[in-house]
Amino acid sequence: MDFENLKEVADLSLFWEYRYFLLRGLAYNFYVFFLSATLAISMGFLAALMRMSQWSFVRPFGTLYAELFRNCPEYVLLVWVHYVMPLLLAYLLQAKVNFHPVVSAVLGLGLAYSGYLTETFRTGIQAIPRGHLEAGRALGMSGGLIMRRIIIPQAIRQMLPEIMNQMVSLFKATTLISLISVPDLMYQVSIVTQQEMRPLPLYSGAAVVYFLLILAISNLVDLFSEKWRTQYLTR
Amino acid sequence: MDIWQHTIVNNLDKFWAGLVVTVQICLIAFSVALSLGLIAALINIYFRPLRIPAKLYIQFCRNTPIYVQLMWVNYVWPDIFGWPNSFFAAGWMALGLQSSGYLAETFRAGIEGVNHGHIEAAYSLGLSPAKTLRRIIMPQALLTMSPSIMNQFLVLVKSSTLVSVIAVPDLMYQALRLTSVWFEPIEILSFTAFLYILIVFVLSHAMKRFSDRLRERYN
Repeated sequence: MDFENLKEVADLSLFWEYRYFLLRGLAYNFYVFFLSATLAISMGFLAALMRMSQWSFVRPFGTLYAELFRNCPEYVLLVWVHYVMPLLLAYLLQAKVNFHPVVSAVLGLGLAYSGYLTETFRTGIQAIPRGHLEAGRALGMSGGLIMRRIIIPQAIRQMLPEIMNQMVSLFKATTLISLISVPDLMYQVSIVTQQEMRPLPLYSGAAVVYFLLILAISNLVDLFSEKWRTQYLTR
Repeated sequence: MDIWQHTIVNNLDKFWAGLVVTVQICLIAFSVALSLGLIAALINIYFRPLRIPAKLYIQFCRNTPIYVQLMWVNYVWPDIFGWPNSFFAAGWMALGLQSSGYLAETFRAGIEGVNHGHIEAAYSLGLSPAKTLRRIIMPQALLTMSPSIMNQFLVLVKSSTLVSVIAVPDLMYQALRLTSVWFEPIEILSFTAFLYILIVFVLSHAMKRFSDRLRERYN
């Protein structure tokens, strides 16, 4: 135990001095989070629909998609999207392609989490009793209408806790984007560390900031989603 | 095919060395996570005076991103605790910390899920609390917890790619190094991604089969 150094950890003046710089980094975290969450939810839903499709030749593609992105570590996927995908696209399009780091970050995280969400969506949708679907058909509703009006409203209440868990881990995963040089909070912290040569308060502070932020987010999300979820749930 | 030959086939020994480090770090980190998680869970349930610190520890580990924890352990701990003195140790400590938080919650839920009548029956038979825990509670709890423990191991394997950032020579580190030597990211990184996907896929299916079989046998 080194108490001199311990005192330095608690020294928040450096954080205050660079507050705008660091907050701008945090804004990138939220920016990438919202974009990749949108991508993940839409792609995950599409892949779940593919896995449950009426046409049997579509189903393996949905399964392949989910297994591929679910089993790939996020960091590996991010690096792959950032360094390999532009080259592959360049071959295909016969043109020079370069991804902005933010684009790679959104694509990489979005694809990774769409794999997890596929499973969530599939189990959630399949948990709805078949009778509801048949009742909708008997009333002459089209497939899309049944999905929109009968299945999704019920399924989403079942799936919400799991989806929210995934969203919280997606937010945690946004710290990885600093590794492909998106200037997020961790990236800014490492820049300030290089300038000031004082890693102790900066990295400890970053850990505390993320801890409080994610704790608050996950508790708030739980509170609101539970209320909304159980409002109409009669079981 | 020529690129394939000189980037992948000629460097298989490097990939292998990286894979060995990945396996080592995952196993060490998971043992650390299991023991720390069990301690935290037991304190949280049975030892009232330390409940708040234990809860704080669990929440901190669960709600801090692994990359942030890794940086924190790697850059801050050596100056305060004088340890870890190597990147490897920092790597497994950070991975272990992260997973121990999740595992502690799993353990708590599993232990609290055991039917209270069983515990009372054990006490009325004169079993000591420690023996009750070991013989009555844990075997039942482990059965219900096994899927989420295994799932946590998969998460840990995936997070272990990050230790390459602090220069632990794991599989990802070797891949990135080879990429910067040969400038052939397509082959090298795709091969690495394929390896990781294969490992995680095989592990997850083996574990699922194992826990299904456990359940079939004892439930």
